[in-house]
Amino acid sequence: MINLDLLTQSVIDRCLARGADAVKCSVSLDEKREFNVDGGRFSLFRTVFEHSLSLTVFKNGRRGSISLGIEEDDIAEAIDDALAAAEVAMPDPAWALCEEPLGYDITDGAPEPDVERLFERTNELKTDIERLYPKLIMEQMIVSHDRTESMMRTSFGGRFHRVSGDYHVSLMFSAHEGETASSFAGADVATVSLDRPFLELGNIKEVLASTEQQLVTTALEGKFKGVMVLVPDALVEFIASALSSFASDSSLIDGTSLWKDALGTLVADPRLTVSSKPHDPRLVGTSFCTSEGFLAEDYDIIKNGVLEQFMLSLYAANKTGGKRAPNDAMDLVIEGGDTPYADLIAGIDRGILVGRFSGGEPNSNGDFSGVAKNSFLIENGKIAGALRETMVNGNLAELFKNIKAISKETVENGGYVLPTIAFNGVTISGQ
Amino acid sequence: MNTTDFFALRPLLPAAAHAELRMQENERASVGFLNGDQIANSKRRTGGLSARVYKNGVWGFSSTPELSKEAAASALKAAADNAAFLDRRVQHTASPFPALAAGEVFGPPAKDADAQKVYVDFCRAIDSYIAQKYPNLTSRYLQVAYDAMEKHLLTSDGVSGGNRAPRAYLYVSMTAETANGTPVELFSPFGGAGVFSERFTDPALLYPEIDKMYENLMQKREGVYPEAGLKTVILSGTLAGMLAHEAVGHTVEADLVLGGSVAAHALNKRVASDLVTLVDFAHTALGEPAPLPVYLDDEGVAAKDALLIDKGILVGYMNSRESAQHFGMEPCGNARAFLFSDEPLIRMRNTAILPGTSRLEDMIASVEDGYYLIDTNNGQADTTGEFMFGVTMGYEIKHGKLGRAILDTTISGVAFEMLKTVDMVGDTIVWESSGFCGKKQPMPVGLGGPALRCRVTIGGQ
Repeated sequence: MINLDLLTQSVIDRCLARGADAVKCSVSLDEKREFNVDGGRFSLFRTVFEHSLSLTVFKNGRRGSISLGIEEDDIAEAIDDALAAAEVAMPDPAWALCEEPLGYDITDGAPEPDVERLFERTNELKTDIERLYPKLIMEQMIVSHDRTESMMRTSFGGRFHRVSGDYHVSLMFSAHEGETASSFAGADVATVSLDRPFLELGNIKEVLASTEQQLVTTALEGKFKGVMVLVPDALVEFIASALSSFASDSSLIDGTSLWKDALGTLVADPRLTVSSKPHDPRLVGTSFCTSEGFLAEDYDIIKNGVLEQFMLSLYAANKTGGKRAPNDAMDLVIEGGDTPYADLIAGIDRGILVGRFSGGEPNSNGDFSGVAKNSFLIENGKIAGALRETMVNGNLAELFKNIKAISKETVENGGYVLPTIAFNGVTISGQ
Repeated sequence: MNTTDFFALRPLLPAAAHAELRMQENERASVGFLNGDQIANSKRRTGGLSARVYKNGVWGFSSTPELSKEAAASALKAAADNAAFLDRRVQHTASPFPALAAGEVFGPPAKDADAQKVYVDFCRAIDSYIAQKYPNLTSRYLQVAYDAMEKHLLTSDGVSGGNRAPRAYLYVSMTAETANGTPVELFSPFGGAGVFSERFTDPALLYPEIDKMYENLMQKREGVYPEAGLKTVILSGTLAGMLAHEAVGHTVEADLVLGGSVAAHALNKRVASDLVTLVDFAHTALGEPAPLPVYLDDEGVAAKDALLIDKGILVGYMNSRESAQHFGMEPCGNARAFLFSDEPLIRMRNTAILPGTSRLEDMIASVEDGYYLIDTNNGQADTTGEFMFGVTMGYEIKHGKLGRAILDTTISGVAFEMLKTVDMVGDTIVWESSGFCGKKQPMPVGLGGPALRCRVTIGGQ
């Protein structure tokens, strides 16, 4: 049994004795038990054990980080390397750690796996899909239990100890009939309980059913400006891109964020509130502390359309003069709106329902362009049919100001809580 | 555990079942400068032992960070137990794999990583050059990314071997503003196989590349949106390599074929014009070392080239030993794992469209109205072969001459349809090996190609 308190404290003491001004040491002991289904057949059962020690040293305003194993040879090398890395770094007074002795000692989630039950649930999911969705080929199904014991300590007395575990389901599949095939689609769910069949979790059923409807596709002729409806799996990509381009450390430090002067102003439709909530019980495996030694707290990034808070680390806050964000993860929550999903679709004259977006990160000016995958044409308030090779173009900053409706229903898949959102004014083009 | 101790573990491998024992270490280092501030300075090393055992069509796998004889024995037992657990429940039937010839396969030696100071000093030199020469940039970002993978393998067939594969890259990103204040950016990777000090001996040698990148950015600053629609284009070798990897390569990985990719119905059929030949090279390509050489895969197969498309006809898939047995093909060494704790998956190595006979100047001169597309920052493809690439640098072609630069755009198409429109193939191959290919695990890969003249759908505004 490894004593994580002794291990991390001794590393901190050794670094301080060698002249470090501040130290953060984290140790993580990870275990994974995983079943794989490939091409519709069970293929693999693996058990994985990993240990890592991460060390960040601050010395004379310089910072170095190392991650190695936890054997004594590794530790001695980590200390040498972290100090050496800090010594050659450029000094920057913005580097800092939380100087309060914060912390916790918790056990949560499902730290002990029920492997037999996990196999049964996995086999049940495989069988259910084969029975209910016969046109689908399961390219890959990965189901795992992940257990982590982590300890993070700082030289300011911070001590964060947690033992946790959760189950993950990840599916990738496509529909087939003869030589006709749909685009691939996927679904991911995290949970701490095996009480319910996996098929009932998150949006798995909806994505499976939608994919079977994508066997027959039509090409859109020409282009038009219309409504783009993003289901949660596509919406999360757009939100993450916007936050990365406009609200994150690097775009604010280098001043390229289009929102750099927008704090306190309307950047989105007033019906939109975007929150980061590590303590939301609907989310699984979130972090309760930040990498700089603060306790993670829930907060609103955008509230009623107004930009409330940038997602700044302590370093970036010190660099920009901004306010540090209360946590350093995404943990995205957007509550449902006031429009039932059926009404949202019924209210659209012409548009596209996008299941997945295949496009790159938008440039810093916010322009996006990509292929609308797993998508359907919407005409006269009805979903008309599956589309192929259809592109959508627009600007992220403008997109969030042009919300047409937010669905009442949300998807809770353990990784996010998100509704479906319809956006006006997107260029939709076919061949 | 040194390599001698590792290879002395051979008696632990069970003779009755197919089993593998692997010792692996991955190293990564990163140094980053944003507008002169050092925002990244890290190093990571992870390693351990893993074991995999095959039983009646299912695999058991286990890994441990401990490097000892006892840990190896435990990992092998856990892998066998895991295989038995699954075998009892699913009861597949499968024949044993054809045995591999016993023997040793080792790659050439590679140097150890440089000290972190080497990265910091080089980054600072390039950053100072850019800051002083180009003060009108609104942002500049430089990152050194070094990684190395060292593997040693024993299999129950009697194969043993190993390889160490380092690579070092400097990523440079520059941002400027247009006259109306809109940010425009360019990103370029420089580097390749080897440790950093082998690839980068003197910052001054990189200045001409930096100057060229800045000139392109200034032209892009004045750029226009391309006209959307199906266009005749010249794809640069960089984009052709992306096409080879993303749009074709993934669809002919045998596990994706079994999962229903478009290639399942295309074997021995025409999928491209007869100017197109596509190969996944193992360690040597066109008489030169491949960008990221692989000598032995993680199932013990001595790596050799996999011919995938021969003069427009799809002739093969990339295989593991298991999929090769299924398809009646020969495995070529494509089963690779990223970390010690990862199981081998079918992965590309150095996937390239072979060069043809056309000169780039002649290819551009042959286009009446189209685009020359040079750089990409990402690419994604579907198992149907439908692909989408971001294009970050390109020019109009009007009456056979390069015109205005274009702003960021996207191209898309269906690989096996688009490749049939290829009617000119450049005479020079361009290789790229930065970043990671994403599947279940990340993996460094090489991708290459010559310039191609073809028809693709280009996105506009």
